[in-house]
Formats: sequence, structure tokens, C-alpha cells
Amino acid sequence: MTDIRIEVSGLHKAFGSLEVLRGIGFTTPRGTSTVLLGPSGSGKTTLLRSLNALDIPDSGVVRIDDVSVDFSLLPPGKAGRATARDLRAQSGMVFQSHNLFPHRTVLQNITEGPVVAQKRPPDEVVAEARVLLDQVGLADRADSYPYQLSGGQQQRVGIARALALKPRVVLFDEPTSALDPELVGEVLSVIRDLAAQGWTMVVVTHEIRFAEQVADQVLFLDGGVIVERGTPERVIGDPQEERTRRFLRRVLEHG
Amino acid sequence: MRQVFRGVLLLLLLLIVFPPPANARDQQPPVVRVGTEGTYPPFSFHDPGTQELTGYDIEVVEAIAAKAGWRLEFVETQWDAIFPALDAGRIDLIANQVSRNDERQAKYGLSSTYTHSRGVVVRRTGDDRVKSIADLKGKTTAQSSTSNWAKVARDAGARVEAVEGFAQAAALLTQGRVDAIVNDNIAVLDYLTTTGSKDVEIAGDAGQAGSEQVLALRKTDTALLAQANQAIEALRADGTLRGISEKYFRADVSVRDGGAADLSQGRGQRSTWDVLRSTAWPMFVGLVKVTIPLTALSFAIGLVLALLVALARISPFRVLSGLARAFISVIRGTPLLLQLFIVFYGLPQIGLKFPPFTAAVVAFSLNVAGYAAEVVRSAILSVPRGQFEAAATIGFGYAQALRRIVLPQAARTAVPPLSNTLLSLLKDTSLGSVVLLTELFRESQLAAAESNEFLALYSFAGLYYWVICVALSAAQKRLETRLNRYVIA
Repeated sequence: MTDIRIEVSGLHKAFGSLEVLRGIGFTTPRGTSTVLLGPSGSGKTTLLRSLNALDIPDSGVVRIDDVSVDFSLLPPGKAGRATARDLRAQSGMVFQSHNLFPHRTVLQNITEGPVVAQKRPPDEVVAEARVLLDQVGLADRADSYPYQLSGGQQQRVGIARALALKPRVVLFDEPTSALDPELVGEVLSVIRDLAAQGWTMVVVTHEIRFAEQVADQVLFLDGGVIVERGTPERVIGDPQEERTRRFLRRVLEHG
Repeated sequence: MRQVFRGVLLLLLLLIVFPPPANARDQQPPVVRVGTEGTYPPFSFHDPGTQELTGYDIEVVEAIAAKAGWRLEFVETQWDAIFPALDAGRIDLIANQVSRNDERQAKYGLSSTYTHSRGVVVRRTGDDRVKSIADLKGKTTAQSSTSNWAKVARDAGARVEAVEGFAQAAALLTQGRVDAIVNDNIAVLDYLTTTGSKDVEIAGDAGQAGSEQVLALRKTDTALLAQANQAIEALRADGTLRGISEKYFRADVSVRDGGAADLSQGRGQRSTWDVLRSTAWPMFVGLVKVTIPLTALSFAIGLVLALLVALARISPFRVLSGLARAFISVIRGTPLLLQLFIVFYGLPQIGLKFPPFTAAVVAFSLNVAGYAAEVVRSAILSVPRGQFEAAATIGFGYAQALRRIVLPQAARTAVPPLSNTLLSLLKDTSLGSVVLLTELFRESQLAAAESNEFLALYSFAGLYYWVICVALSAAQKRLETRLNRYVIA
């Protein structure tokens, strides 16, 4: 039980008549990285956003550590929002387009959550934030505004912001897709470090080589279901399903 | 600091909603609120030297108060708002040459007569088309629309152009925009001597046997009326009324056939420069004591309301967003002046009576809310969705996300259009002049009525508004620079 950080079962989600998730289930052991692969529209981003209730599934259960939410029983209104918030508090998220707060400095972006939402002592939070900035290689940019940074630097701040919350798991939504190619490497290297440090992570990405290096588990999604799952050696190195092979061929040709 | 600011704002809101009770109104002596134009020389006007309200009617009502033991509180407003103000209980009596007629006799409590006068027809000098009241048929005259003289003109078949006072009427006549004016003999003589104008002249009598001017009270205030009548008779008996009348008119107009009024000495002419110099300060006081506080308070309250309306408008609850939509539609779909009148004259009829300043703040802040709500709404929607989501993932609830993440960014988009709203509001507060507020514009009107220096005085008032607008625009620029500091230049 304690070894399983994330446990998902029977997840369904439809946007109107479009069924995006059709019965998703998986588990993630503590300290491991799970990579979600799949063509666009396969449901991988929706699945990721269901883990922190940015999208609310129609049914199914998500458990992260000791918070478990059965979405079919989620009460409407205020109570439901509070429950969603409890689940959300278990994770930190890194967005494709970083979504840094443009009116806050780098340091403020990182401390905002811990100080304001978690109500932790500012001194302590600032000290931790500086350590995190150092870790992502931006110790000297604490007082810059986001617009003064490169895309790769912005994304590294985004990572530090997520980590500052001391979350149980870190969610990455295509963290390098919006970056210029020459900036991808610096971001992936930071994420690789996190994996090595034992963070529990779920990553949506198109970087197949990166997935091979970092993932303990790969889930290949298509049409709202997990088509194939296993170690990267198995799913990427020796895919069993035609859909997986076709996807990998296409992606690797471009990569 | 933020807490202090919030506290002050809350306090102001409370003061607006629950104004402190006027302290001990029922103590002796009773306060009688007197409605008068303040722009109708020589009956009711501001002395150019002292700026004090004075005139024949003012001195008469002051003498009455001294006899009857009243404490007076003068409320100045243009003629067409006087009877509504009496009806709404904002004043207790009118001292402004109210002519006795059957309609008023039926509806109001009218006092004994304190002025006997006659109506005259005024024309442009040498305009032979207008010789007597009979010639007004099919012509256009300029009158206060609800005055007795307007009624006389209408009865004679004239089309009446509504103006706010005699000085404006005279200006229209001089400019050739109307054909004639029907008014009180004395007021006309005063105008002619004061201005030295040769452009207009008295064509003849308005055909009436003569008219009687009285104080008007509410029909129900019978005790007050009895006191007034008693005092008037006493003043007539002891010669006080004759004294006041002779001071102003060199004749006793307080009795029938007391001689022809002679105003040839006039009140003295002053240069435009003198008028401006003596009016600059009262206008400045009107600006600082009424115009600016009214603008600031209405804008602050209006912005808070606008935020609430905007949030209601984008909320997923249909009823809430529907109400917000309806509110915005009504506010933007009706004239501001009408909204002001509804709050000031309309609401008292269902028991919601505010003092003038409060009524103006209510009307103006609701108006600001209606316009600014759409600005705030679009500014909030202009903040990328990802900002809300990022705020959610760092543990913020809706209110926190709004306050700390979304609104500061929305402010950048909202400042330019909101500045427009503020500038409009500053200038729109001049409408407060019609709800008994002596603000900047009203001060210029008062001075213009007494001196007929329309161009100079209104231009000067405009200068005051313009200077404040320039200052506000500069402040806007600074604020925009500040808000833009985190965005690529």
C-alpha cells in the first residue's frame, strides 16, 4: 500500500459526446517515473490533468498517497471543489507553456504557493526556494521577471515552483513541446536529475529517447485506453501492438 | 496598510448606506429648509462681493424666520427642480417669487402675498413682430418650463423653450434663438440695468391684471403656513416689508399699487475680470469640496460593484449572470441624468430618501459599476486560462487566484478603459448641479446668472475640469508604466 504512490482505476471522461478516457487504470510505485506516450487526442493530457483534478473525470478513482477521490461520488458545489483541492494538493504540476506568473519575480513565483496557500514561514520557504533555484541552475536569476528569461529557463523555474510545494508526485505536461530545440536538453536534464533523486513523476512527452532513459514504466495510450504498458525496453524497444509501432515509427522519423 | 485601506473603504460604504442621522432636527428652534434658485436677481442671487445668498425674497424670508422663530437652511436649485424638491420633502418652503395660480392653490399651501408685480413681454430691441401678449401666438419664448410665466406664454399660444433661469432666457433672446420672454417686470428691469443691455427691451404688459407672489409650502404643513402668514402680516404692519422692498426696488411692491419699481441704480456693473476673480475661489471650493470627493467616492464604490457584477456575469450560475447582464443593460441603456433623477426624486416616493450628496454617490457609483463591469469582465477573460490553472496547482482557491494572480494581470488591460470611465465620471458630476449639489459647475451657473458672463465663467469652469483631467491622465500614464514593468517593452 505505501509503496504505491498513485493508483488509478476505471477512469472515464467525456467532453460532450467525445469520450476521451474510456476506463483507465494503472499504479505508480513510490519513487518511480511513469511516462505517458500516445498520439495527440489519445487522452494522455486529460489523464494527467485528472490526476490533479484540473479536469474532473466523470467516474473512476484516483488515489495519491493517502488522498483518494471517487469521482462518481464527488458531491457538486463547494464540497466537491474542496475534495478536488485536497487531491490537487498532493501534486505539483509543470505545464507545457510554463504558466509562470508574469507579475511576480522568479523567487516570488516559487514562494507564492508555499507561503500563501500552505501558509509556511516565509523565511524558511525563501531559503528552500534558493536551494531549488540552485538545483535548476538559476541561482542568479531569483529577482528576474519571467519575461527576462529564455524558454528553457522559464520552464526550469516552472519545475522549481512545482517542487517547492513538496508534493507527493510531480506531473509534467509535455514540458519541452513549446521550447526551441536547442533549449530542450537543459530542461530534460533537470527532470532526469529529479528522477535520480527519487521523485515520483508522471510525464507526458513526445521525447522517446528521454522516455527510454528516465521511465520506469511507459503507458501507451490511444483512443482513451492504455493500449500497451511496461518497461521502456518492452514498450519502446519491442512494442507488441501495431498502433504502438505505427506511433513510434512516426515520432522517431521526426525526432 | 491594506487592512487600513479596506477598513476605510468599508466605513465609507457604511456611511453611504446609513448616513448618520441629522442631529436633533426637532430641537428648538425648528429648521426650515428654504428652496430658492440663487440665480434670479434681484430676488434670489449671490452677492458678487461676498458670495452670500441675498435678494428681496431672501431678506423677506429671513425677516419672516426672525419673527416666527425659525432657523433657516437654504437649498439652492434650479426652478424646475423646486416643486419636486418640495414634494419629495427635501425642502419645506419655496421663496422664489412663486406666482399664485389656481393649480398651485389646489396643490400647495400658499402664503399671503409679499410681492405684487406684473408680467411683461420682452423682445429683441426694435422687433415689431412682438408688441403685446397677443403677438406670441405661434412664436417661441424662453421660460423655466414649470413657471407661471411659461403657463402664461403657453396660454397665449407660444411655443416654450425650457431654460434654467432668466439669465439664460435673456441670452437666448439676444442670440435670436427665441422670439420673446414673458417674465416678471422687476426681474426684467434688474437685468436691463445690471447688464446695460440694449439688445432687448420691454414690449408691453403680459396682459394680466397683475400677479401675486407668495411662499409655497406643502399642503399638509398647515402649522408652518399659519406661522408664515402671521409673520408676513406682522412685517407688513411694522413696515419691514416696505423697507426691504424700497431697498431693492425704490417702491413698495409688498402692497398692490405701491408704485412702479425703479431699478435704474442697478446693482452695479463689474468687469469680466472682476467677475472671474470673485468666482474663481467659490468654484475651486465646489471642485474640492464636492466635485472631487464625489468623483473619488463614486469611482471607488463603483469599481468594487463593477468587480462583483463582472464576477457574477462570468459565473456559471445562470440566475446570477442573468441578473448581472440585466443590470449592465439597464445602466448602459438609460441616460445618466435619468438615473440620477430616479435616485434623487423617484426613490423618496417609495421611502428611500438620501441626502443630495449620498444620492449622487449612489447614482454615479451604480453608473460606473454598469460601465466598468464590462471592462473588468473582459480584462479578467484576457488573462490566459493557464494562469488560473497554475494558481490552482499551487493550492489557491478561486478567490485567492483571482486576487493574487488574475486581477493584478487584468489590471494592466483594464487601466486604460477604466481611466476613460474616471474622466467621464469627473465631468458627469456636473449633473449633480440638478440635484441640489453646489459643485464646480453649479458655482459657475450661480455666478453667470448674476453677472451674465456666460462665456468667461463656463470657460473658466471648463479650465478647472481640464486641469484635473490632465492630472488624472498623467497619473494613468504612471500607473500603466508601473503595471507594464513585467512585460516585454
